[in-house]
Amino acid sequence: MAHFEFSDRPLDAAALHATVEDRTCGGFASFEGWVRDFNDGRPVERLEYEAYALLAVKEGDRIIAEAMARFGVTHARCVHRVGELALGELAVWIGVSAPHRGEAFAACRYIIDEVKHRVPIWKKEHYVAGDSGWVNCERCAAAPTVTAHPHGAARGHDQDHDHDHGHDHATPRAPASVGVHAPGLPSPDYSRQRVLPEVGDAGQARLRTARVLVIGAGGLGAPVLGYLAGAGIGTIGVVDGDVLDTSNLHRQTIYSLADVGRPKALLAAERLRALNPEVDVRPYVQRADRSTLPPLAGGYDILVDCSDNFATRFVVNDVAVRLGKPAVAASIYQYEGQLQVVMPGGPCVRCVWPRATRPGVVGNCAEAGVLGPVPGVLGSMQALEVIKIVLGLESPACTGVLLVDLRTLETRRLRARRAAGCAGGPCTELDPVEPAPSLEMELDLATPGAAADFTVVDVRDPDEILARPLPVARLHIPAARLAAGAALPEGTGPVLLVCARGQRSLLAAEALVARGVSARSLRGGLAGQPRHA
Amino acid sequence: MISVDVQYYALLREQAGTSRERVATSAATAQALYEELRARHQLTPEVSQLRVAIDGEFAGWHDALSDGAEVVFIPPVAGG
Ligand SMILES: [Zn+2]
Repeated sequence: MAHFEFSDRPLDAAALHATVEDRTCGGFASFEGWVRDFNDGRPVERLEYEAYALLAVKEGDRIIAEAMARFGVTHARCVHRVGELALGELAVWIGVSAPHRGEAFAACRYIIDEVKHRVPIWKKEHYVAGDSGWVNCERCAAAPTVTAHPHGAARGHDQDHDHDHGHDHATPRAPASVGVHAPGLPSPDYSRQRVLPEVGDAGQARLRTARVLVIGAGGLGAPVLGYLAGAGIGTIGVVDGDVLDTSNLHRQTIYSLADVGRPKALLAAERLRALNPEVDVRPYVQRADRSTLPPLAGGYDILVDCSDNFATRFVVNDVAVRLGKPAVAASIYQYEGQLQVVMPGGPCVRCVWPRATRPGVVGNCAEAGVLGPVPGVLGSMQALEVIKIVLGLESPACTGVLLVDLRTLETRRLRARRAAGCAGGPCTELDPVEPAPSLEMELDLATPGAAADFTVVDVRDPDEILARPLPVARLHIPAARLAAGAALPEGTGPVLLVCARGQRSLLAAEALVARGVSARSLRGGLAGQPRHA
Repeated sequence: MISVDVQYYALLREQAGTSRERVATSAATAQALYEELRARHQLTPEVSQLRVAIDGEFAGWHDALSDGAEVVFIPPVAGG
């Protein structure tokens, strides 16, 4: 059974449903997109879909594979119509079955969002007035003479893709024969690594679905980021609050002299997108600390500690230990480096260094001096360890600390033992990290003053709001817009997001919190509100 | 007297002026050995700021030394 396919005939939802039924699954989630009669203020009569099938099916299959790997669902399928469709017809059908409902919902949502953003499909709308216009449904697509953004790389250029089938791109465009990459740009080629027996197609797929958060975009971070993007790691987050300084460039060679003074997280993101447009790069211009890191870390599979101070080093360790995620840590001193991979259940950085070290005991790069290739070597080793974790290759780096002396070219592996009660006790109590608070909250919106601490934001679509208005809401911003980066009005304060069932509002709240906005989601949405007589 | 192979890392290497040396000592524990070397090389870090490894494994400061042991003194480093 194909995971993603096109059909030029009407879709039969019941027949499709039958193809993902499974006795081992307790949950099934489906999404249907229908042809709507109105778009951009113009009545629509019928429409046509056209796809660049070769490319579209490949990308669609990739999305389904990502969803299955990321959410661990049992079956996932997406069928998209091509050809002529009448009003009310089924344009796209997605079905996901999984042991539990949570994964099924999340995977279904992921698939429709990604298909909307990444799969090249064009739509010709025939308006009631008699004319027609082509609309490219591909995310951020533009006429080929203008900049065409590769998928996933143009975060700041998001439009509201929450439409189910009606489009929301302002200007109809001619169907362009561009794929997911900018015109004239070759596709990333992983053949030199794929040929390794440990990589292969399966390994490359794992790299593509991996989400890695790199803390620090300096001497260690620069090679880490470059190699991870080059390897095709699907999602890379970069946390760094510093701006580029001229003294950084001798060891941070992904940057340019002309970039001095700009935030390194943004510069790194630009560089990585240019290096590999397939990578979804997420820059966070902020310091990683006890309050900022936990909400970010939840969205990633592996943390890479490329920081240059003990405080951050321990925060990254503590968050990784608490969340049970691997962390790859390195640090340098002049010609030497220390490398430690923290795997769940293994010794952590605090098991090795139980006393949080006072700053100033040993110098930083500015005081002690450093030659550029030293962090270059250690950062390259970190990138390699990340790739090994993703590929499932064993590494002795998780058994303790590797000491590397690049002056004598000697390396020494020192085995460490996990401290008794590491995760629950000694390793986190010195500088405890509060677990990420749940973003969901329960309250009765009808109770006067219940939501007084918040600005209530209705994140439903306009037609839903018309059908069931929510007078207590002060703002109306669709969830997809918030998730895509839309800002709240200046001085809004903490927000409580509300949607129909609490799913979209939770996703949007997570996106806002990741950007440093104080946001909560109403559990259960309007459907979960108590009935009042 | 026993003879041990001592290695220094980072700041300790700088202060000792060498990355390894053969030391004849009557020290019974890792801590006693470090205090001896600390006085000889004017090393500034205290035991509480360091870790010691004996024969390839992180060890306790009160662990006993044996003849021919490889003893590594390591300060934490934070550069990046
Ligand atoms: Zn620990």
